Amino acid sequence: MIDIIFLTLAFFALAGGYGMVTCKQPIHSALSLIVSILALAGLFALLSASFLFMVQIIVYAGAIITLLLFIIMFLNIKEENLPKEDDKTKLLIIGSIVLIPFNILIIKAFSTLPSKSLGIKEDGFGSIKDFGEVLFNNWLIPFELISILLLSALVGAVVYARKDKYNG
Amino acid sequence: MNLVLVSVVIFNIVVSLLFSLGAAPILVWMERRVAGFIQDRLGPNRCNIGGFRLGGLIQSFADMLKLVFKEDYRPKSVKEKLFFSFSPVIVFVCAYLTFMVIPFADDLIIGNQIFMMQGLPIDFGILWFLAFAGLSVYGIIVGGWASNNKYSLLGGLRAAAQVISYEAAMGLSLISILIVYGTIHLGEMVRIQGELLFGFIPAWGIVMQPVAAILFIITAFAETNRAPFDIAEGESELVGGFHTEYSAMRFGLFFVGEYVAMSASSALIITLFLGGYQIPWLNTEALKNNLFWVICCLMVLAPLMSVVFARWIDKNNAWPEENDKRNVEARWLKRALVVINIVLLSILGTLLLLGMSSDAVNITVALLQIVTFALKLLFVNFFFIWVRWTLPRFRYDHLQDLGWKILLPLAIANIFFTGIFVVVFGA
Repeated sequence: MIDIIFLTLAFFALAGGYGMVTCKQPIHSALSLIVSILALAGLFALLSASFLFMVQIIVYAGAIITLLLFIIMFLNIKEENLPKEDDKTKLLIIGSIVLIPFNILIIKAFSTLPSKSLGIKEDGFGSIKDFGEVLFNNWLIPFELISILLLSALVGAVVYARKDKYNG
Repeated sequence: MNLVLVSVVIFNIVVSLLFSLGAAPILVWMERRVAGFIQDRLGPNRCNIGGFRLGGLIQSFADMLKLVFKEDYRPKSVKEKLFFSFSPVIVFVCAYLTFMVIPFADDLIIGNQIFMMQGLPIDFGILWFLAFAGLSVYGIIVGGWASNNKYSLLGGLRAAAQVISYEAAMGLSLISILIVYGTIHLGEMVRIQGELLFGFIPAWGIVMQPVAAILFIITAFAETNRAPFDIAEGESELVGGFHTEYSAMRFGLFFVGEYVAMSASSALIITLFLGGYQIPWLNTEALKNNLFWVICCLMVLAPLMSVVFARWIDKNNAWPEENDKRNVEARWLKRALVVINIVLLSILGTLLLLGMSSDAVNITVALLQIVTFALKLLFVNFFFIWVRWTLPRFRYDHLQDLGWKILLPLAIANIFFTGIFVVVFGA
């Protein structure tokens, strides 16, 4: 049962990624990205990381892609403004051929990994409490550094967006 | 034993269906009648089946039938047919799924099995609500975009901007409640709200966190796209906003989805701030211990309330002619009231006479709590409607100012003070 769910979700994740790269319309790309993100969230849920599952939906699907869609719509891109991609299939085929050696390397790397059961871990593994304890005990400094990084990005955005008194 | 499991699960799903989907026609009726009341007119009250008007409730069913049987029309200008058809479904499904984690009674114990009394027995609680509230806006954005119409696109854009800005304030206002309760599980929160503060005030969220309650209620209005935050469909500027090009049941899904979302938001407001399914001063323990007296009170109260209601029907549904439709309807309604009373009293009486096993006590308590929850749900939905017909619509820039410059700083300040308070005085 879990295998079937995993395969379905993995299929949707890959299909979403493929659609995101190949769609011509930016909005179609953004929407296929949502499919991919939701499928990933489902994969997190399968790994019993319930907090990550919910946060993936709330933050990525609920907020970030909404913002992305908003901006794409705001730009109001017309059909004729989109770049002409006549040799898209040619490029796709060449690109996948070039990537074959790398893919073989990845498959080999996976096959050397020690086999472990990928089943659901014991109770409380991905819950908010355990997550918070790990985050605020072992990873406190990286957490704070990331928050400072985000804050500086926020301040920067405000500075750019602010109307200058003199330049109007 | 398995039979019990199956029947409880089916019961839970049916009850959450009734509270969300089944509430929609009642809410539409309530909206139109309350609007009429506020604007000093009657509202729809003529539609009837064989003389039965039920105060105009039949009108909602007539409207629904009309929507179902209308021609399924799609304008030629719509090019993205898949997204155009799919977006009402997104809105509806998301609105419906948000209701699934709301507990409408305390955990039910039958034999040695414990059941969570909510549509889906998962404990993600608030996170689940936030996730699907965030997802439902895709329906509006994509629908507005796929309509290939300037008004629709503007409506979709406005919805996106509004949801992004109010989700931030909503999430932050929830954090201070999470600090107080120390859990995200909604059932756990309601159980905490069953306690008493200083021995006489029910420890409801609105008493413990008044600022968070106000912030959350405002942002919940914005999340459901209800007036005064309905700029996404502001008909004075945008014709119909995101659903300008929609008709028949595609529009119907948007329409019903709005009411389901409103009902889900009301349910969450109740669960977080108004004590959920708890009857004030009677938490689950107290109810179980004093069930005898509670049933006695019910047996006295039910006939009394029915008499008042019957008098109200007599006063409001009367006509000088003896055999007028109104008088006939009033007579039948009164007979129905009598039958309901007899059935209720006989059930309660047998319960009292035969004595109650612990299972029967638990089931009766759960039913009482479901009724309490339903009454609170009706009241908060009424509040939503009341606000809609009282306050004018926000202007777009005022809406953004309110979200970013007032609600967000207030929410952050509230988290700060709550945190200090909890650290100093203990949870």
